[in-house]
Amino acid sequence: MIRFEPDRSQYPQPGDDGKLEIDLETGKYLKLWHGPNHPGITGNMSVELTLCGDEVVEGKVHVGYLHRGFEKLMERRTFIQVFPIVCRVCVPEPDFNEWCYAQAVEELAGIEAPEMAQWTRTLILEMGRFNSYMMAMGGIGGALGMGVIGQWMTYVRDLMLDRFEEMTGARIYHMFILPGGVRGHLPEGFAGRMEEVLATAERYLADVDKAMFTNAVFKARTKGVGVIDPALFEPYGVTGPNARAGGVAKDLRKDAPYLVYDQLDFEVVTETASDIWARAMVRRRDIDVSIALIRQILAKMPKDGPVMAKLPNVLHWKIPRGETYVAGESSRGEYGYYLVTDGSGYPRRVNVRGPSYTHAMALLEHLIPGTNIADVAALMVSLHTYPPEIER
Amino acid sequence: MGNLRDVLSPFTAWKHLIETPVTIRNPIGREAADGYRGFHQNDIEKCIGCGSCEVICQNAAIDMVPVSAPVDGDSGLRPKIDYGRCCWCALCVDVCMTGSLTMSNEYTWVDADPDAFRFIPGVDPKPWDDMEKGYRREGARVLTGAERVEMGELPPEARIDNFDEIVVGYTREQAMIEADRCVECGLCVATCPAHMDIPDYIAAIREGDYDLGLQILYETNPFSEVCGRVCTHKCETACAARHEGDPIAIRWLKRHIVDNVSEDRRLEIVGTPQALPTGRKVAIVGAGPAGLTAAYDLARQGHAVTVYEAQDKPGGMMRYGIPEYRLPYDALDRDIAVIAAQGVTIKTGVRIGREIAMDKLRGEFDAVVLSIGLHIGRSTRIPGTEGPGVEAAIDLLARITAGEEVPVPERVVVIGGGNVAMDIARSMARLQKRKHGAVGVTVTALEDFAHFLADREEIEESFDEGIEIVDARGPQEVVRYKSGKRKGAVKGLRTWAVTSIFDGQGRFAPQYDQGDERLHPADMVVEAIGQAADVSILGEDLTEALEWTRGRLAVDPAGRSSEPWLWAAGDAVHGPDVITAVADGHRVAASVGAMLMAMGEVAR
Amino acid sequence: MMRDLHDHLKTRYRLGDLAERRANLAFVDVARADLRALLVELRDVHGFTHLSLLTAVDWIEEGRFQLTYLMNNRTANRSLGLRVFLDRADPVGDTIHDLWPTAATYQRELREMFGIAFPGSPRVDEEFILEGWTDMPPYRRDFDTLAYSQQTFSDREGRETHDPRAHMAKKLNPEGQR
Ligand SMILES: Cc1cc2nc3c(=O)[nH]c(=O)nc-3n(C[C@H](O)[C@H](O)[C@H](O)COP(=O)(O)OP(=O)(O)OC[C@H]3O[C@@H](n4cnc5c(N)ncnc54)[C@H](O)[C@@H]3O)c2cc1C
Ligand code: SF4
Ligand code: SF4
Repeated sequence: MIRFEPDRSQYPQPGDDGKLEIDLETGKYLKLWHGPNHPGITGNMSVELTLCGDEVVEGKVHVGYLHRGFEKLMERRTFIQVFPIVCRVCVPEPDFNEWCYAQAVEELAGIEAPEMAQWTRTLILEMGRFNSYMMAMGGIGGALGMGVIGQWMTYVRDLMLDRFEEMTGARIYHMFILPGGVRGHLPEGFAGRMEEVLATAERYLADVDKAMFTNAVFKARTKGVGVIDPALFEPYGVTGPNARAGGVAKDLRKDAPYLVYDQLDFEVVTETASDIWARAMVRRRDIDVSIALIRQILAKMPKDGPVMAKLPNVLHWKIPRGETYVAGESSRGEYGYYLVTDGSGYPRRVNVRGPSYTHAMALLEHLIPGTNIADVAALMVSLHTYPPEIER
Repeated sequence: MGNLRDVLSPFTAWKHLIETPVTIRNPIGREAADGYRGFHQNDIEKCIGCGSCEVICQNAAIDMVPVSAPVDGDSGLRPKIDYGRCCWCALCVDVCMTGSLTMSNEYTWVDADPDAFRFIPGVDPKPWDDMEKGYRREGARVLTGAERVEMGELPPEARIDNFDEIVVGYTREQAMIEADRCVECGLCVATCPAHMDIPDYIAAIREGDYDLGLQILYETNPFSEVCGRVCTHKCETACAARHEGDPIAIRWLKRHIVDNVSEDRRLEIVGTPQALPTGRKVAIVGAGPAGLTAAYDLARQGHAVTVYEAQDKPGGMMRYGIPEYRLPYDALDRDIAVIAAQGVTIKTGVRIGREIAMDKLRGEFDAVVLSIGLHIGRSTRIPGTEGPGVEAAIDLLARITAGEEVPVPERVVVIGGGNVAMDIARSMARLQKRKHGAVGVTVTALEDFAHFLADREEIEESFDEGIEIVDARGPQEVVRYKSGKRKGAVKGLRTWAVTSIFDGQGRFAPQYDQGDERLHPADMVVEAIGQAADVSILGEDLTEALEWTRGRLAVDPAGRSSEPWLWAAGDAVHGPDVITAVADGHRVAASVGAMLMAMGEVAR
Repeated sequence: MMRDLHDHLKTRYRLGDLAERRANLAFVDVARADLRALLVELRDVHGFTHLSLLTAVDWIEEGRFQLTYLMNNRTANRSLGLRVFLDRADPVGDTIHDLWPTAATYQRELREMFGIAFPGSPRVDEEFILEGWTDMPPYRRDFDTLAYSQQTFSDREGRETHDPRAHMAKKLNPEGQR
């Protein structure tokens, strides 16, 4: 098999200070803006690439296209008013924001959401993870020219959105997990309709397995490509599937069980090669875990019971001074909210810790030099990053 | 060979070519899920314009706009939503105090005019107004507390043989929780006759700032300790929280503030008049809440105020009517002490019209305020009411307060279904329990329980205390012994069942079922059917000179009579309760003060 | 568990009291000069190898910034938040990008959003999220987002609201009588 050998060229060369010298004037280099409107980019960000031939010698990540100042906005809203905006930090998997925020508020206010709400929250998070993986699968297919995978996954995701819609009243921004619990019970017959979605999903996923994972082109372009040395995981804050693809069996659902994960049976999926293939495969297999979890939750969850804890009057809800950090295993790794309160009716500070913050910035910039320009999109997509968590 | 499989396997994807497409051909018109959060609906009759939806909306998408004239408990405002801002979070639906606001599951609407997407749901007609489907809040309102913190009370057996105060008062923790429920819409302020700044003093409780709370109370009501106990709390009928839960215990919260500020501290906070003495003199006849409130205001304006009171102690009906178990005398005394500290002279035991004539007051003072209340008990005048053994409720209550001996027979029947009837019934029950060891009181009321005049709590507590209440009975005769040792003494009250109280025009014209007759055995009958003002004190000339409307002294909205020097306030002209008397006192004081200021200007 | 660690460390580092939030989460104040050594020990000896986040809190009333280094021991499932306080008038932090390269991103953001300097941190002065920003660092508490948006954007015409209480007072009691 033909392999791309980096460092074929003698450029760039170190200057007197030891730093690589990239002088565009020499005509040896080409600047290429990968994004923000490139189909191979994961959302609104861009990577400023410097090429020498087809080799990328430098990559700088640029974000800010989607900055809405969420963390600041949250400081200007009462505790209940923050609830509708948190989901907007992340379109593909918004529910993690809702849960982290609600849980952090509950912790600092000394409230416990009822059992029914805990199960519902877990269900929602798995549905969200499933959907996020649908986009990841479609994305990786798309980045390697297999648009049809994206179409299938979009269809399956849409079916799951239908379930979200009937359950929460909205398709994308569900606004269903609020401090104190969740907004309601599952509609009549929900489990049955969910089963139909899961069965359809499994049919399409079998096709994905045949069309993508059992595919010479896909293998050639992902195996051994974009390898992340596991030694980089901790210095670069790599978590979630990206680390699990390198043999690290860490999953907060297991290691620091939150919600009702300690009452559920599942295994932590790992691969060892730490390349694009392994990252794609971990996600592919984790979809099966999610599907199984959704089935389990629906079978095990209580049929009835209160969904909301008693709240103080939210119109003048004050929370004593304190700080906490609530995190869980999102589809992309550790997702957390750091909430600081000061005794007033508003958060003093909310900091959203999205896995993409480390994956798409320092890590990506570290991985890019030496790659072939044709692999950059697949590399990026294999990290499964969502820019809004970087710039919030 | 694995590699061949890797080449062939992807082609299985081609099978999708022959599958039916999964895309929805025309998404416009696709019905959303049953619980979808689409365009809002508002049941305009149910909505009270409290504005809680506006307050919670984090997008500032809601404006409260006038739609109808405000009435008690309804501002007449309705939410107008700007869909350029709305994020469909439905917090407004969740917080809605009445449940009027909901969402339809309609979400597709195209219009070239952006302003079309700003409208008043329920007022500006929309196709989805009557849609059954859409987001509805599941279950009760949870974002603001729905249930009132229960008030502690002495149990019946601990209270029935004494006049100890029944209501315990909130602890700080309880008050905090109750105060937390308030949504600060302020609908109650308009309903309170004195327009007390209710949301503000409740906020002071939440802040734990009782000094501030007391200061706010005194801005509108120098009888907050009294009102915190016995106010008719009309504000609570206007409270937004009552629609899907209990109204805020506004009265108890008021009391809680006063309970937490010592008498000395109250004097410090309220202080004494800051205005320089004006040299003007005002006489006030009657030391009830109306007269004393006017005195408080006028004294703080710098005028010299003398209050004349016929009874031995000031307070009017608050002392001589309302029983001690509802309003302890020392609570009343504390309120009056702050008023007296303003330099008000209160001369008790002086009955104007007898000891001092009105004319004399007119000569000696720049203005006179008449606040004499209603102190003549009305009688049913049914046969048998003349003679011993038939009493007026307010006379008995006054005598009990004064510590006089009152007759306490074993069986008492009370005529009347209002709060005064309950007060005398429960007072007599206590005296009976003490004297005879048993309660023997029957209350007969014209109204049936569904339309009872007395407060629900009063009825329940009376039952608890062993009082019999028979509803829908019309008194026909006080039956007396015709012969024997007890000849002439009261034997009982004969009543007929009431079939209706008002005629078609709404006039008082009770109809009876004469076949349903009962004799309620009694040794004494007490009439508690209303009171009248003793206007004989005015003297013939003045009575002649003044204007009257239906037997009451006519006054302008400021309380001024047709004689420029004479004002009237309180029960004597308005009624029916302490807080109205207080409001009246303020109003009259403002008018008198304005007149005195004008006089001052002329003199200078 | 967290207590033991705290007891163990406080003999050698200037640490504040341990604020325990959950069994597996606690926060502690650290003297700025001790931060680096403590981080290294936590990482190399006590298994706190993962930097969950690095961010700042503006305690404007107290005239200081709080830097929070949230350190995580993934094996033992424990997190320790180290709080370092900087003078708000001249906020300078110490770069730790050599310990965790990813910290450079956090430091660049803190520089931009809070105006906290991290001398020596790679590309720390490059624009990160904002572009052409000239106002004060926007995540400082005294940056008024409302005022900013009012200056930057125009309000929609024709909007007017009414406070129920004031509206009723005006309509029902125009003279403002008590
Ligand atoms: C039994 C009873 C229970 C009540 N319970 C409540 C309740 O729970 N809550 C509530 O809000 N309201 C209650 N009320 C009503 C309330 O007490 C009155 O509305 C209020 O006291 C009226 O105040 P006022 O100042 O107009 O008159 P009053 O309080 O009646 O005061 C008038 C004063 O004028 C004096 N006076 C009369 N004539 C003369 C004269 N010629 N010279 C000198 N002084 C004179 C009287 O002695 C009296 O002290 C109750 C009333 C009664 C009778
Ligand atoms: S749905 Fe949310 S954003 Fe829309 S008007 Fe209601 S509270 Fe405001
Ligand atoms: S919260 Fe409900 S009752 Fe109050 S104004 Fe809004 S829609 Fe009307």
